[in-house]
Amino acid sequence: MPKVNKLYDGIYEIVKDKKQLATRNIDCGKVVYGEKLISLEDVEYRIWDPHRSKLGAMILKKFNIPIKEDFKILYLGAASGTTVSHISDIVSGGAVYAIEFAPRSMRDLIGLASRRRNIYPILADARKTDSYAHLVEPVDLIFQDVAQPNQVEIATRNAARFLKRAGYVLLSIKSRSIDTVVNPKKIFANELRKLEQTLEPKFEILCVKDLMPYHEDHLGVMAKLKN
Amino acid sequence: MKINTWFGVLEINRTGEVMESELFSKDIQELALHSLGLRENIVNLMPAKFDMKAAALECKFVVSPSEYYSLLHEVTLKAAKLQLSGALTPDQRIIHAVEALNDINENINSLSERLSEWYGVYFPESGLGGEALAIFVAYYGSPKNLGSENLLYSKTINSMGAKLEAADELLLKGFAESVYSLYERKRQIEAYIEDSMGSISPNLKLIAGSILGARLISIAGSLEKLASFPSSTIQVIGASKALFKHLRARAPSPKHGIIYSHHLLNTAPWWVRGKIARALAGKLSLAARLDYYSGEKDPSLVEKLETKVRLIRASNPKPPQRLQVNETKTKKRKR
Repeated sequence: MPKVNKLYDGIYEIVKDKKQLATRNIDCGKVVYGEKLISLEDVEYRIWDPHRSKLGAMILKKFNIPIKEDFKILYLGAASGTTVSHISDIVSGGAVYAIEFAPRSMRDLIGLASRRRNIYPILADARKTDSYAHLVEPVDLIFQDVAQPNQVEIATRNAARFLKRAGYVLLSIKSRSIDTVVNPKKIFANELRKLEQTLEPKFEILCVKDLMPYHEDHLGVMAKLKN
Repeated sequence: MKINTWFGVLEINRTGEVMESELFSKDIQELALHSLGLRENIVNLMPAKFDMKAAALECKFVVSPSEYYSLLHEVTLKAAKLQLSGALTPDQRIIHAVEALNDINENINSLSERLSEWYGVYFPESGLGGEALAIFVAYYGSPKNLGSENLLYSKTINSMGAKLEAADELLLKGFAESVYSLYERKRQIEAYIEDSMGSISPNLKLIAGSILGARLISIAGSLEKLASFPSSTIQVIGASKALFKHLRARAPSPKHGIIYSHHLLNTAPWWVRGKIARALAGKLSLAARLDYYSGEKDPSLVEKLETKVRLIRASNPKPPQRLQVNETKTKKRKR
């Protein structure tokens, strides 16, 4: 009989032969990206594949994820909604504002959002915060996975506009999208410096780890807004 | 100050209290259109971290947070759907067509090869291949069905091919028909690309030809992106593997990417290909920019390119002297 351990609010670990990350499915019976469903004691869990989700990898890398059930989350770079679906499971009483720029990915995301009422799909450019400012309320956490050369700047700009006091920023920095030639370690150090040295808003960096073995050349960063 | 939100225009004071409000109706379609309008035309931006939900409750647009969220959900969903249905541009149609063409080409190759292997068992002497073989098999089936007036008839008489049973003949005929229909589909797509390249990208079509032009647009992602590329990027589009190998390690830089299929390049001797590729890429980027920003056809571009290529070929009539063998060896060691 599999056992369920609670890791954080809404995030579980199912132990059966091996340990697997999971969230409670709020859209019962439906699979989003081919993940497994496991029912235990009348609760349906969706297995969360850390190889396909930067956030999943961060959790397994022991980032102290602060997400609560009623969190409002701004997700930059939602793509087809693999990770978004798990966040939507976790914040069952909250909201996920999912920003995505590519129409092709948005097609899948709309399908997901029409079944999950806490996802708000927005087809917009995460660099242009003004273009979705009239839709997004202040949020508790910003998650960013955009793979852009200036992604730290994009994150700080969004934080300045939408992040509540003492809110969190979770970043996945992809060195390959900043420079393919330079050594990833150098790039990461440089990007972290950028994040620390932004004048407004000020961040306190809580946790920095690379996402190996789940994602190559990716750095996970968790920071908290100081003021 | 006046601010725009998705549910209406509000007048707020310094502390963020709503003084006046002009609310929209709760019609989802209208709200979604308003929201899209606000994206295009950014005025009366709200202050950072303004609590819109509280304001919506305060000015009685909604009676409860849950109503706020369910309405916002419908509106964002509707707005995203509206954006998607209006998002298809003419260059995206071409991109889909040219990618379908690439897939069809790949399949035609492997299926034609399969057909010639398979039919070769029964009639190895036919000497046909590709589309001709597909038409032949689809029409005649077994080589026995050839009349004496057919050019291939003499070859069937002493054929070393095996006997084609009725069941196999049926199967082969159907297979050949499918292969032939792929050739037809290929021509249809090519005609479509030819046609639409003429209207969205006449200069690129003039210089690169419609298929190569369409491939360039497809790899760049859109005509807009292609127009924004420097010509050195256009020169190596499609050679990304070689390019990154060059950037990371000591591999030589690629001279040309998919533009190699251009007749000016693939008919040129090897020692001028790099030079011609550079000239061609320069004119291609000019053409893409003309197409994207003005849309007017400029035939002088082709003439200039041809003069340039003639000049390059005239001034480099002979291959450069290769370095002495031992010299190159020491040079390599130094690097």
